[in-house]
Formats: sequence, C-alpha cells, structure tokens
Amino acid sequence: MIFPRDATRRTDHKAASETFYDVVVVGSGISGAIIAEQLSQAGKRVLVLEAAADEDRSLKGYEGFLSRFYAAASKDNQSPYPHNPNAPMPRSTDARRIWPGQPDSSAYLVQNGPFSSDTTYTRVLGGTTMHWEAKTPRMLPQDFHLRTMFGLGQDWPLTYDDLSPYYVQAERELGVSADVEHQSYLGATFDPGYVFPMHELPLSYLDKVVAKGVDGTFVELDGEQFELSVRAFPQARNGVPNAAYDNGKGYVPVGAVNTHQVEEGERCQGNNNCVPLCPVQAKYHAGKTLAKALQDGRVDLLTRTVASKVLVDPATGRVDGIEVKVYQDPESPQHTTMIMRGQIFVLAANAIENPRLMLASGLSGSSGLMGRNLMDHAYLLSWALLPEMAGTFRGTNCTGGIVDLRAGSFRRQQAAFAVDIHNDGWGWATGAPYSDLVDLVDQQNLFGAELRRALPDRISRQLLLALMIDVLPNESNRVTVDPAYTDQLGNMRPVISYTVPEYTMRGVAYARQFARQVFQRLGAADHTAYDPTDGAYLTYEGEGYVIRGGNHLAGTHMMGTNSRNSVVDAQQRSWDHPNLYLVGGGSMPTIGTSNVTLTMAALCYRSAERIIAQLQDELSARLQTPAPTELPMPTVVAAS
Amino acid sequence: MTSRRDLFIDLSVELTGYSRVQLLGTGMSERYLQALDEVLPDGMVDEFLATSAALPTMTIDAILRSETWGPVTRNIMILWYCGRWTALPDSWRAVHGTRPADSNHVISADSYQAGLQWVAAGAHPAGARQQGFGAWTVAPEEAAS
Repeated sequence: MIFPRDATRRTDHKAASETFYDVVVVGSGISGAIIAEQLSQAGKRVLVLEAAADEDRSLKGYEGFLSRFYAAASKDNQSPYPHNPNAPMPRSTDARRIWPGQPDSSAYLVQNGPFSSDTTYTRVLGGTTMHWEAKTPRMLPQDFHLRTMFGLGQDWPLTYDDLSPYYVQAERELGVSADVEHQSYLGATFDPGYVFPMHELPLSYLDKVVAKGVDGTFVELDGEQFELSVRAFPQARNGVPNAAYDNGKGYVPVGAVNTHQVEEGERCQGNNNCVPLCPVQAKYHAGKTLAKALQDGRVDLLTRTVASKVLVDPATGRVDGIEVKVYQDPESPQHTTMIMRGQIFVLAANAIENPRLMLASGLSGSSGLMGRNLMDHAYLLSWALLPEMAGTFRGTNCTGGIVDLRAGSFRRQQAAFAVDIHNDGWGWATGAPYSDLVDLVDQQNLFGAELRRALPDRISRQLLLALMIDVLPNESNRVTVDPAYTDQLGNMRPVISYTVPEYTMRGVAYARQFARQVFQRLGAADHTAYDPTDGAYLTYEGEGYVIRGGNHLAGTHMMGTNSRNSVVDAQQRSWDHPNLYLVGGGSMPTIGTSNVTLTMAALCYRSAERIIAQLQDELSARLQTPAPTELPMPTVVAAS
Repeated sequence: MTSRRDLFIDLSVELTGYSRVQLLGTGMSERYLQALDEVLPDGMVDEFLATSAALPTMTIDAILRSETWGPVTRNIMILWYCGRWTALPDSWRAVHGTRPADSNHVISADSYQAGLQWVAAGAHPAGARQQGFGAWTVAPEEAAS
C-alpha cells in the first residue's frame, strides 16, 4: 500500500485537540503502528503522535534518507536521518568514556555510567524499524521461565504457547522469511502445518565457508554436549513467498506484484545495507503498517508533535490527556503547547522514551520500577581472516549464524548467546573496508596494480562474528530524568545508569573463547583486538573486552503478575492507570537471545485485542449507567 | 597539449591499477580534480600534475616519497577507491597552509557509489549497485577460479 501523501497534512492540530479519540498513541514506530492499524480495523478513531519532522514515508522522503547516507562520512546506524534538536536521538558515535562521578551529558543521552553504552534508537516516522537489521527470531520457551528454572531474572506472566498465535500474526505483518525445519530447535515449536510467509533467505557463500568448519562439531558446556551448525536467521525481508502459507493460500509481500513496487518494497537484492537503511524497502519498516492504518481515514497522524506530559486525574488514576509541544522548525525552540484527549492512551515511544515521559510527568508508579531494569543485548565482536576467499561484503548484513547455545542448563551460571556471521566483514569492528584501504596505502605503501591485488585478499577473507549475549534485568540499570538536563523544547532528557552484569560478563568471556574455537576450526587467523581507550572497554577476570550496544532496549516498564513486581500487566496495561498502556520492549521481563522486535510486535497484537475489549466494556458501562461518577475498573485478564 | 584531466587520469592509472577507461567510467574524474583544486593552494594542482607527468612511468614511488606530494598522492588513491577526501597531515598543512575543504568528507553521494574498493573486492558499495537476490550464495570469482 502506498503511504498516503497527505497523511500528516490532512489533520489539523487544533481540530485534533478538539476531538475526543478512542485511542491516542504516542510514537509511530512498530508498536504504535500495529496498535493504530488494529484499532482502525476495529472501527476505532485513533490519533498517532510523532515527534519527528517527517512529512510522510513516501519514496521521495525515503530516497532523501538514502542520499544522505551515501554522502555521510560516518556510516553509523543514524547516518541517513537528520539531526532534529526538537526530537533528538542518540547516535553510536556519541558514546564517550565516563569517569566516575562525572556523567557525560555532551549528547542526547546523559550517561551516568559506569558503563558507557553506544546504544541507539531512531526518532523518525516509523521509528527504529527504519534502521533495524530485521532479524526476527522468536524467544525460546525456556526464556519465559528463567526465574523458575534457574532462579534468575523474572518469569514472564506469559508462556511461549500464550504468545505463539501472536507471533504468527507478527510474522505475517512483518513478512518473515524463514523455514520451520530450521527454526524448530531448543524447544521452539510451531503449529502443525505452519510455514513462514516466505522461504528462508539463502545462506551466503561466507556462511557456507564457516559451515564447512563448524557443522557437526561439538562444544561441551555444563556437562552438556551441543552440536553446532550454521543456520539461516528468520528475517523480516522480502524473499520468495511460500505457496503453502496460510493453508495453501500463499503470501503476497507488500508491494508485490504491481507497477509501483519501488514505492512499497521490492525483493531483497543483497544491498548489504539493511542497517542503516534498505535502499529498496525489501526490509520491513513500520511505515508499511502505518500506510495500511492510514488508508481508511480513521487514524489521524500528527508529526512535529512531541509528547511532553501525561496528565492524570488524581481522583481516578485515569489519564486525562497528553500534553504535546508542537513545533514548525526543527532548529527553533518555538512551539505551541496543546492537550490531546481520548478514552485510552498508548505510549509506544520505546523502552527509553516511555519511562522518560512517565518520569518527566511525575509518574514513577506504585512499584517504583518505572525506568528500572533497563536491558540491551551485549554484543561482543570477534574477527579473523579466513584462509580462503569467502566473498565477504555481499548479501544482506547477516544471513546465517550459530544459535545452538541460546538455551541449556549452563544458563544457571552464565549468559546464553547467539552468533551472527556478518556479511559486511569487519565493518562494525574496524570500519572496513575503508580502514583496510587506508592501511594498505598509508602503512604498507602499496599503489597501482599491487594495491588492486592486495585489496580483495584483505577484505574478501574477512569473517566477523557478532556474539549477542543475554542481559538479565537489574534494578540499578535504569532510565531517570533530571531537570538539569533538557532538550531544546525544554523536555527532560533520559539519564542512563548502566553496568554490564557479571552474569553477562561470564557469558562474554565464554563467547570469546567460543569465537577462538570457531576460528581454529576454520584455520582462520584471529585479528581481534579490543582497544583499552574505547569508552566501552571492560575487564573481566584479567581479560579486556569491548561491549557494543545492541539497540534491543527493554525492561523499563516490565510486565508482571501484580502492581508490586511490575509496571504493566500481561496485556501491557498500567497497573496504576487503567486507561494507559505502555507498550514495546519496555514491557519485556527478560530478552533471552532474541532480537526484541518480533516479540514486541506479538505483544502489541495481544494488547490491541485487549484495548478493543476495554473500549467496548467502558462503552457498555457508560450506556448502562447514564451519569457515572466513577468509571468502572475493567477486569484484568489473568495470564496463564 | 595534454589537458589537465588527461594528466590527472594518466597519473591515476598508475596510482590505482585501473585503466583509463575504467577510471573515466566512474564518471568522477572532473569532480575529483575539482576537489583537488578546492583543497590545494592556488597553482599547486598544476605544479603537481606537471611534476608527475615529467616522471618516467613506473617511478611513482618517487612522488610517494616526496614530503610535499606524498600525502596528496595517497589521498588521490583513497579518493578513487573510497570516494572520500582525508584531511592532509598537520605537518603538511604547516608548510602549505590549510583550506576549509581539507577535511574528512565524502565528496558526494555519487563518489561513494563509484568507489573502486568495492569493485576490487568483487563486491558492491553497501547500499548501491547490488548484485541481485541470492547472488551472495555464489562463490566469488577468485575462489571459483
């Protein structure tokens, strides 16, 4: 579906502020987009508030991002997206070393340390799905019960089976390419006959080189033998539709097949640029869901509209409205303040911005957990040169990896992890291939034919393993606010306090050994070197490591079974404010070794059902009681 | 008389290991020459081109060893291979002066895509000139041969 070009212009701010919506959603990323689309389908009136300055998500705007990326000196994951002082966002290049007692407030995220994270999220229309890589593994059944099984972290108030039908919905919306036979491992099950919307993306030649040395080999951990293999990751990326999908009805990817495919999404062409921007929209982004939500006119979208305060009626605890600051020029602090009203409110601004907004509104919650338990996968990079040409720098950023150590009894002692084989070489770790060329020219004094010959030998053999390591909730890892730190509009900025937990560091130390073992099995020369001057350098048991952020933010408004152990219930509804839902990664009690987006999407489908039911319940209650003095508390659906 | 661009291309052929046709095929030669004009002090580009033209072929290392021309020559290689200009060393600037354009930057969206580093590696610029669905499964030429 083509993004309606007048989407942000057809709604007037004043008219919106005079409308009483069924639901007001803060944030146009994947969570907000799914909820808006589901409610619109149910005939509800929805207002979506987006802080960014985008006009729409049409091809023209998309290509503007692409040109910006091409010409950017740093190709980091925010490089296509313009700086906006009224809706600032963190950038990985902002991260600095933090000295004890001296928070780094030089960039948008105020980093209190002790660990300085280079994590990011993107504040544009469509949110972080604009820059995400689009890996979509489900969480494993074990991930939902870590407290019961190992006495660690928190149990979810949900099981894998509870979430399974919503995973199916999310996989349809995101357009996931994967094969069930390769995803049924470590207890993950699928309904009989289930197939993914599209066949898995083929493994890269590099993956196959790694597989030659790894497949069928074993590692032993906690007395358990694990057989290793290179496996394709599920990805929200257009591949070849599976004719068996949906009981043989098949699957039609967004954009296929029509004469304006270029505007909606083509098949993956292997641009090797999933992060920070797929040039052909083969990768899912929330603009695709927003485009659907905006078709029938029941969803209004306002951009340049920054939510600044959640207004609560102290008598009932219900949210009355959202105060917003509306600006015209991103460079100017000039703005108008307005209030948007509705029956139900949804905060879908991500795991840092949701608690930031709540805390800036003075709403720390009865559990005291608002903003606490911030989680983000710890990434350890290990890189080597293969003994043979592997054709690196082709394909999607990552097609395959080793996921056999995502679960097991060893989790009692140390974090589980998943391994990505990077098709973009050492880029993430060293800035390759640019850094290789500079070395060959400046240090090795090569030129001419010799330079031309040396280059492929140097970069076509590169292997980078990104080991994504589990991080458990820890209350002292948190987001807070401080009136001393504000942005251009006067909104308080997030203040982050973060330590990489020891449990994770044990996983990091093992993951490094694991990478060495893989390199040995491949006869590859290990070139890994962690720079002690890097802001993210840590030592553990005498060895140094650099830990990169995963941009998989979670935990800050955790779901649970009651208002003392959590901020939201299993439907992502606030325990304190019965007409408020805080949705997204922030609701996740643990993240396991699963990139968070698919699970967030599944949770949002579940919440959308509950929101529709709540609207219905409150409507019936109003009809039955002509002049209610107090709105009834809707029943909380207990999760199994 | 040989044009400035021809002199620049002749030198670039020696520096990059790519033929005249391949370099012209990038469509970037005029733009790179312009970049040099923007960065180097007035008259210095012509002096540089004349100096390199006067050298017998295959003695490029003479200009690479020169304190004046070495850093400029290396930057020209990086320009062709990566489409970006790298700020000249401080020691060079102390002698020859500084121009505002002498900063680390990608020349243009086109220059990024025209980088020879990707071609040399049998790959393509990340985000452009992609090889098509599934091409990544095939062995690279060097491995197959």
